[in-house]
Amino acid sequence: MNQDTENFEQLRRLLALKRHEQPPPGYFKHFSSQVILRIERGERGTLIDRLLWEAPWLQRIWAALETKPILAGVCGAAVCGLLVTGVICSDRADVSTVALVPATETESTPMALANMSVADHPLLAKPVLLEPSSTNPITPAQTDESLLGDIGKLRAQPASFSFLGGN
Amino acid sequence: MVMTEPASRKVSKPPDEPAAAPATAPVPVEEMDLVKRARRGDLAAYDELVRRYQERIYATVYHMTANHEDANDLAQESFIKAFQALRSFKGGSSFYTWVYRIAVNKTINFLKQRKNRAQMSLDDLDFNAEHDPDLVALISEKTPRREVNLAELQEKLNAAMQKLSEPHRLVVTLHDVQGLSHEEIAKIMDCNIGTVRSRLFYARQQLQAYLSDYLK
Repeated sequence: MNQDTENFEQLRRLLALKRHEQPPPGYFKHFSSQVILRIERGERGTLIDRLLWEAPWLQRIWAALETKPILAGVCGAAVCGLLVTGVICSDRADVSTVALVPATETESTPMALANMSVADHPLLAKPVLLEPSSTNPITPAQTDESLLGDIGKLRAQPASFSFLGGN
Repeated sequence: MVMTEPASRKVSKPPDEPAAAPATAPVPVEEMDLVKRARRGDLAAYDELVRRYQERIYATVYHMTANHEDANDLAQESFIKAFQALRSFKGGSSFYTWVYRIAVNKTINFLKQRKNRAQMSLDDLDFNAEHDPDLVALISEKTPRREVNLAELQEKLNAAMQKLSEPHRLVVTLHDVQGLSHEEIAKIMDCNIGTVRSRLFYARQQLQAYLSDYLK
């Protein structure tokens, strides 16, 4: 070790030069006040900053993402993939609720569906409105009187056409 | 405010150890009081803490980046980050070591991002540089570097430092420039002393090779 020390003595003397590198005069007079000013201005830390400090593993992940663009890209792609998968899954869930229609009707051909009247279709059929009477205290809360209401329902019908008469 | 002189400065050191090792000094009693007050949001107390360590933190970041503007930003941000994280400071190490660690981590992350746009913006040498006995001895010796002026030497030295990897540059900065002990560097870098020693040896070898024209 002593030999190493002697070997590096010249280098250490040269490195001493760096101790003489000094910032502009008066720089340190204002340094602490600038720090305090920045703290007062609201850099006391966001929730994310605090979280990063409370959880060192999160800090390490964040640092890795900051320094490795490829890793950040892969993570971004993974998040996007998850999002798309989520959207697709939610769409499928909607389809499955439609599939709750009785099997005999879901399996019917488009021709049969087209021949079916709007009132017969299980999804489009209006609820049976109970007539108010002296023995039935329950009255419908509201009735769909709007002309546009039916149009809206008709739009939900699967498109299917049949030309009964033909050419 | 009483500033206690670090005890390590009075102890004679082996040749390999630098003259000053401020981080190994016993923690002044009032430092913990300042930390407690700052933790409660007392900015005057934190201002005092910043004043105590601003020069050393700035110098470390500056020697790592070789750029005054970057060093200014990083040193300030390190102190701001330290203030934000004061609640997580358990007092296991000195506040100084803890702030140092924040500054070092911040600087290394910054350098990894900056990799391809390293641009030096060096601080001026102070007046004493021309009278430093080590430097006078170095320049007055009859070697090819005798015609090199201090400013040139400074630039070459910084360029050589920038060629080192961040961990190696950090060890040289902390030990040979800042004067910290191996133990303290190990604490700051979160590694063992053997690693510090081997990194220091390798870094010096590299520097010697880069600066062979200016060394015997």
